[in-house]
Amino acid sequence: MKCVRCIDGDVEVVARAPDGSGAWEIFRCTRCNYGWRSSEPESIIDPAKRDPFFQLDNTDLSTLVSPLPLP
Amino acid sequence: MSRDLRSFLDLLEREGQLVHCYDELSPEPEVRALMRGAADMGPTSPAVMLHNIRGYRGKRLVVNVHGSWANHALMLGLPKTTGLKEQFYEIDRRWDAYPGELTWVDGPACRQVVLERGFNLLELLPLCKINEHDGGFYLSKASVVSNDPDRPGDLDTENVGIYRLQVLSGDTLAMQGLPFHDVAVHIRKAEIQGQPLPVAVCLGVDPMLSLMASTPLRYDQSEYKYSAALSSTPLELCKTFDGNLNVPAGAEFVLEGEVVPGVRVPEGPFGEFTGGYSGARRQVMIRVKRVTHRTDPILENLYIGRSWNECDTLLGLPTCIPIYRQIKETMPEVRAVNALYQHGLTAIIATGSRFGGYAKSVAFRAASTPHGIANIKNIILVDGDVDPFDLNQVMWAMSTRIRGPQDVIVIPSTPGHPLDPGSVPAGMSCKVIIDCTTPEPPEPTMRDVRTVGAIEGAAHFQGLLSDLQSDLQHKNDGVGA
Repeated sequence: MKCVRCIDGDVEVVARAPDGSGAWEIFRCTRCNYGWRSSEPESIIDPAKRDPFFQLDNTDLSTLVSPLPLP
Repeated sequence: MSRDLRSFLDLLEREGQLVHCYDELSPEPEVRALMRGAADMGPTSPAVMLHNIRGYRGKRLVVNVHGSWANHALMLGLPKTTGLKEQFYEIDRRWDAYPGELTWVDGPACRQVVLERGFNLLELLPLCKINEHDGGFYLSKASVVSNDPDRPGDLDTENVGIYRLQVLSGDTLAMQGLPFHDVAVHIRKAEIQGQPLPVAVCLGVDPMLSLMASTPLRYDQSEYKYSAALSSTPLELCKTFDGNLNVPAGAEFVLEGEVVPGVRVPEGPFGEFTGGYSGARRQVMIRVKRVTHRTDPILENLYIGRSWNECDTLLGLPTCIPIYRQIKETMPEVRAVNALYQHGLTAIIATGSRFGGYAKSVAFRAASTPHGIANIKNIILVDGDVDPFDLNQVMWAMSTRIRGPQDVIVIPSTPGHPLDPGSVPAGMSCKVIIDCTTPEPPEPTMRDVRTVGAIEGAAHFQGLLSDLQSDLQHKNDGVGA
């Protein structure tokens, strides 16, 4: 499974519904750190339906602004 | 009497300002919709305790605690109907009580449960996406404690600030500190030394501390001491396990950890106080080593995004007061400052005038206060008898005082707030001065029109009529019961 935002990163499950209901899982992209819950609307978790404005595909993450650059 | 979040929630409930939601809500999008709905209820909106978030059953989340001026007044120990201008002057009066008293306690409530390993923040905390396109799950009301690496143990440089925190995994967070934040000084010094910076992320604290953690204090002024001063109550603290930091003893959760030196990680976007999403960025990373919490803890978070919301109420008056006091030091004619709008991007200043053009000098002073340099963009000046918190009065002044070119001035290429979408490039902006004061000699006066003055006795009748209306309401309620 690949990240729904950067399309490139591998995904890991980082949480499951703690009440044991199985209601959802939380995924995290190991590349861009995007986090999402399996129960979120398709407009968030389906790459084809996401707003392109918020996609990070074809983006060099090292070029993102760092408000506190390394000294 | 100790002050903590729980005692304040009890007060809110007694005053009809806390409601409980037991219906099952989806973490997304229903919790967000509830938070937005609470924010839209206006100046008397209640705090809301959510008891049943799908997947987090058995955990409690409270939102909108500072979400209204009624709750804000109760935090100050004032009647919930206290007006905004009165709350402004009350905080200003208490400001002189600094420094307040701090006490240290053994066996603090925040340490009733200690988790050294095996915790997962994304399961422990009932986290819900605050805005649809946020880059993940955020703590939006966390008081982050850190200290100057060169001044260990110095209470005055120990900083408590609210910064956005994205929970990345079970034990890591990404934090946004901006260059003008005190925590940025601490991070930079630690990174130059190649050392991790100890931090404590405190969740669910005394609402007065949340207020002060939102206040642009000087680097060497203590948020803890101001919190104690403004509440007229000693603030109870305890040490973190490694003894590096002080944390509020009554906090619901304390996440003890450190900023990992030399590391920047992708974070965001996040729906910010400007009402726009900031882009994805590379931010510092915190590794959490230990979690302590109260029995049956309550997570507190806030909605932030398009105005008006809890963030506006929380940041509002603490933004106004330092600016007011800094200007007033040299310009005693200044009567009040309303910088409620987006952390002071717009400020309305009521001032008397000593001579012609004086109000514009007040604007320059506001623009050169520590907070004003980057944060204040629009400066609206009104006469001293105009209540800057009453926008009807402000609009009246704008409608009838502005003469055109000489009263509307734009100074380009000034520092700006990088989160302001109007700041291009991010960090650069302008100062817009709108002078709505009455000209004073030697400046030519306006046309010879006298202003209708304040009407003596009106305040008395206002109170009387309000009482009559209240009596009628009680009578009608009684009939209906």
